[in-house]
Amino acid sequence: MFGLIGHSTSFEEARAKARSLGFEEFAEGDLDVWCSAPPQLVERLEVTSATGKTIEGAYIDSCFVPEMLSRFKTARRKVLSAMELAQKNGLDITALGGFTSIIFENFNLLKEQQIRSTTLEWDRFTTGNTHTAWVICRQVETNAPLLGIDLRQARVAVVGATGDIGSAVCRWLSQRTGVKELLLVARQPQPLLHLQQELCGGRILSLEEALPEADVVVWVASLPQTLSIDAANLKSPCLMIDGGYPKNLDTKASGAGIHVLKGGIVEFFSDITWQMMEMAEMDNPKRQMFACFAEAILLEFEGIHTNFSWGRNNITLDKMDLIGAASERHGFRALGLALQSDPSPALTTA
Amino acid sequence: MATLASPAVSEATSAQQLPDQLPDFSTDAYKDAYSRINAIVIEGEQEAHDNYIAIGTLIPDQAEELARLARMELKHMKGFTACANNLGVTADMPFAKEFFAPLHGNFQKALAEGKVTTCLLIQAILIEAFAISAYHIYIPVADPFARKITEGVVKDEYTHLNYGQEWLKANLETCREELEQANRDNLPLVRKMLEQVAGDASVLHMDQEDLMADFLTSYQEALMDVGLTSREIAKMAAAALIG
Repeated sequence: MFGLIGHSTSFEEARAKARSLGFEEFAEGDLDVWCSAPPQLVERLEVTSATGKTIEGAYIDSCFVPEMLSRFKTARRKVLSAMELAQKNGLDITALGGFTSIIFENFNLLKEQQIRSTTLEWDRFTTGNTHTAWVICRQVETNAPLLGIDLRQARVAVVGATGDIGSAVCRWLSQRTGVKELLLVARQPQPLLHLQQELCGGRILSLEEALPEADVVVWVASLPQTLSIDAANLKSPCLMIDGGYPKNLDTKASGAGIHVLKGGIVEFFSDITWQMMEMAEMDNPKRQMFACFAEAILLEFEGIHTNFSWGRNNITLDKMDLIGAASERHGFRALGLALQSDPSPALTTA
Repeated sequence: MATLASPAVSEATSAQQLPDQLPDFSTDAYKDAYSRINAIVIEGEQEAHDNYIAIGTLIPDQAEELARLARMELKHMKGFTACANNLGVTADMPFAKEFFAPLHGNFQKALAEGKVTTCLLIQAILIEAFAISAYHIYIPVADPFARKITEGVVKDEYTHLNYGQEWLKANLETCREELEQANRDNLPLVRKMLEQVAGDASVLHMDQEDLMADFLTSYQEALMDVGLTSREIAKMAAAALIG
């Protein structure tokens, strides 16, 4: 059985969701109430692969909302409790969605294996980052040519290049896709140098330097609230893949020739009956989902019950090949630009 | 789906307090708070003993098993009394008796009416879940002597929680309504009890939000094992948060 751990994108949205699911009492509660609320297994679902195989899974809402990010103990407890609930429900492989894996990584929860009477078994969990990285790469490879961008002649900026997903994207784009040049952007200089050495290439630049040069920008960093992008300084056309969380790049960059695509989102070949994705701001919630969630589903289809994506910088091209092939076999495809259906200059699926 | 840290996450990390730092067990403030918290625990174990014996009168075929559970509670009580002695603290028993009075009253009323479900919900589910979560929160910040004792106690308490769960599970179809009513009547009391000791608990480095969240998690888990659905449980748990 697979599991998905998710959360609402805001407190207001969480309350609305609680109300619509019939959890009236929680909907009425204030933020303190939500801080104490335990995680909920809100939905059980079935998914049938394009191969015909059917698997079962469950969606757990950690009852975390981004407004709790500044409360370290609350955020830590929310993540660990949701993982405990997944394990106690016998879920074999569970994806940590949204802020869940970010909190896990940044708060170093790996050292918090004991929660109450439960020893968390890490091999039941995956960040889903391998599939996310693969999907983002496919989105670059598929959509750039649609805009007339020849990747062999293109400069691709990766913002957040040294992160788990970012470094995997860099590896793939340099070794598999064969782009003209990678522009590496991240906050810490030292990891950037290591990455550059590993890649045997790529140019380290600041964000301001990289943007005007980039034909394609892959964002796998959360956007600083103060960030403003001057569309006049961007190339036209420019493909921007919004692979960060939350996905709000379209509010920062728009204009003629700028094409923002929600990164790391996949579409399944048939409808899935679930309520949770209705609230996840997907255009087609019955079919679209975060690639990290899809990774847990894929691992269950493939019978790979192990922490496939775990820790930082462990994503290899072999693993991306494996999960990518599974993704296609079972009926997922990476979300693409809606070029035909949207005639406006600022084409976006967001 | 980790990405680079968002600024909010980084700030939270740098601003985080060191979790579970040990308090100074020798201060007057600590001992004063401990005199009430420890008394609650002692009283709780004593009442648990009495309650299990009492429930045995309602289900005589289980009386022997219940008497066994009751004996364990007395053993725990002695352990916690030793914890107070070790710190040179006298437990404030009058405070603890008053603390338990509302719940005690509800239990006695249900007992007089022969309501097994209510009695079990109060003692074997609510109080045990409350105790288990409080002990879990306490263990990392306890003095070494109390820590050892409490770790032993937690293991026992799970068997008590389990006893209540099994009985309610076996009788769920006939007791569901009473269970919901008992929850409505008693869960808000537990929240009030928690709020009442929040100040003392924080002196012991036990965080109120942690206590509430852990309690609700244990309670939810117990109800899940009884066989209630997630939605029913969420509704029931909300009575503590909102009520």
